[in-house]
Amino acid sequence: MNRIFDRIVHTAQHRFGLVVLSGTLIIMGFAAGWLAGLAALRDVLLLAAVLIAGAAIATRAWHGIRCHQVTIELLVTIATAGALLIGDYWEAAAVTFLFMFGTHLEASMLTRTRHALAQLLESTPSSVIVLRAGHEVEVKPEAVQPGELVLVRPGAHISVDGTVIQGRAAVDESAITGEPLPVEKFEGATVYAGTVSQDGLLWLRATGVGDDTTLARIVHWVEQAQEEQAPTQRIIERFARWYTPAIIMLSAVFFLWTWNTELALTLLVIGCPGALAIATPVPVVAGIGRAAQRGMLIKGGAHLETMARISALALDKTGTLTEGKPRLTHLESLQSISSSGRRAPEPWTKAEQDMLRWAAIAESGSEHPLALPVLAAARMLGPVSHADQFDTCAGRGVRATYQGHTIGVGTQRFMGELGIPIGSDVEERLARLGETGTTAVLVARDGRALGILGLADTQRGMASGMVRRLRDLGISRIAMLTGDDRRTAEFIAGQIGIEEIHGSLLPDGKLALIRQMQNDGHIVAMVGDGINDAPALAAADIGIAMGAGGTAIAAETADIVLMTDDLLKVPEALAIARATVRNIRQNVTIALVTAAALLAGVLFGRVGMAGGMLMHELSVLVVVANGMRLLRAGRGVIADGVALPRVAPRADSVLS
Amino acid sequence: MKTILRSQDLTCPSCTGRIEKSLKACDGVHDARVYFSTGRIEVQHDPGRATADDLIKAVRMAGYTATTGTLR
Repeated sequence: MNRIFDRIVHTAQHRFGLVVLSGTLIIMGFAAGWLAGLAALRDVLLLAAVLIAGAAIATRAWHGIRCHQVTIELLVTIATAGALLIGDYWEAAAVTFLFMFGTHLEASMLTRTRHALAQLLESTPSSVIVLRAGHEVEVKPEAVQPGELVLVRPGAHISVDGTVIQGRAAVDESAITGEPLPVEKFEGATVYAGTVSQDGLLWLRATGVGDDTTLARIVHWVEQAQEEQAPTQRIIERFARWYTPAIIMLSAVFFLWTWNTELALTLLVIGCPGALAIATPVPVVAGIGRAAQRGMLIKGGAHLETMARISALALDKTGTLTEGKPRLTHLESLQSISSSGRRAPEPWTKAEQDMLRWAAIAESGSEHPLALPVLAAARMLGPVSHADQFDTCAGRGVRATYQGHTIGVGTQRFMGELGIPIGSDVEERLARLGETGTTAVLVARDGRALGILGLADTQRGMASGMVRRLRDLGISRIAMLTGDDRRTAEFIAGQIGIEEIHGSLLPDGKLALIRQMQNDGHIVAMVGDGINDAPALAAADIGIAMGAGGTAIAAETADIVLMTDDLLKVPEALAIARATVRNIRQNVTIALVTAAALLAGVLFGRVGMAGGMLMHELSVLVVVANGMRLLRAGRGVIADGVALPRVAPRADSVLS
Repeated sequence: MKTILRSQDLTCPSCTGRIEKSLKACDGVHDARVYFSTGRIEVQHDPGRATADDLIKAVRMAGYTATTGTLR
């Protein structure tokens, strides 16, 4: 008997069956009473409906009593029992049915909200193909051992983290980065579980399987963030702690005063702070889940609430506003007649291409940071030959020989050391380049200067868009913090549209500036990526770490981590945070207004038990549905921000 | 040993305390945390004295369903 009872009461599917059964019995009861005039049959059917729906409620109520807790189920049980005692079977049936039905709807809606992310994990395939002893074997994803070779067919979900050993494919990484555009993966690239190979065939060496994948870590981390209580929630729980007992007291007082059982029981029914209790958690779960889907990890409800209130933003320059890597931005031949200097993407003249090739040969053995962009640019023109012999002079340049020619690449002073004459017009050009924050080097061959190469750290594509959007969102104070000198910083800041610049800052200088902004009365968010930003990220009210290329320490210190280099995620995170906080306020309002209206309605005798329960359950469902709207939040903000230049995400640097 | 259970039944934050109590009352359970926001139930237990099935039964005693979860 106990077993059967247990079975009936406890599975969610059965619970829905109970709801349907109880509802059917109520309808049948009415039909019997009204149409056939069989009052006795009606009461029997209604009583059956109460027992069927009420058994599960009573179980929870009983357990609550054993834990010394006054639960919502206890209130409903007392009210139902009371209604049965005074012979009001219809009210008792309606209350239990509405409560069960409402709870069932609420549970399924909450499950959808909670699973915004977890469903990504479930979308991983049920089997994968691994190479074992020379044969392709199909196994379960969790049975793959790290180090094994895994085959990914075109169109297949990737179920392990791994390194591409062989093959090529466009991979949809939106599950990890929120970026809709697929990324090309070649040999040596890292791929993540949860992503989808769109066209090619890949052989991977598995590095992470099961719960040890980047995606699993993200989901785990997001869950922890969702579990952290928002400050508003704590206030509400304090309120709820005395609200329910207070209603019970009120109900008892009214009963003793008026001996109106119906009124006292109705008070019990509406005495559950159902809508208020979930007014905050639902938006927080939905908001953080939505942000995570879009490639932003917000580490908890508290951070979400603070983010919504920020009034100032400080940004690190190198690696955050800029790409953090120098690029060849300027190529100017001194040989051609009309050389006005070109930006790199424009077609280069023959003389310019020649100069670049010579420079690349000289740099071919160099590990210098400025050599890499020169080599990268030259390789776009074709293979680069190796110098026969080369000689690096630290901080000044490199001298090399190739097929009998002497090549020099370096600073103006280095050219002087090599005895290469530099005209005053060239000096002027170098100075002009310096003003734009560009590092200029000269290229010379066989004693004659060929031209100038300009290398600069360029701003990220969306930097100015981000600043514009933040200003639109009302962030009035936006400051750039950098360790670089002011002149370089000013040029970039001018391009991006930032007026407040603080240059030549050491890490503690950045921290001091954040403190100063806070003393000015601002709630400050700081965006950074490197170890040197960590103190400032920690000091700021909200630290935002850039994921791609970012360091683990910055991501650990930060309150919000962006999975990609996309700067537009900063205003998007702000929009989601504000939408969430707005949503919480709406929910609290809905809950309090409903509670007050119900209380007034009951006291003035306008609301009965069934009506009270209906309103109560409706308010709960409205609150959950309102919170769920956040699963689509941020659309307006991102609508015109699509089709960004593709950047390779490096989620691993953040989460490993 | 840590076992993760998941419940789709949590509709009110106050039920978490009851499930925790029910779990902690089990022989072999050292600690239990129930999170309303995610429906995650985290149990530290001695698998020799309390199996995953025992844990699910304990949750059921409090009036809620749970299944063993996969994620940490």
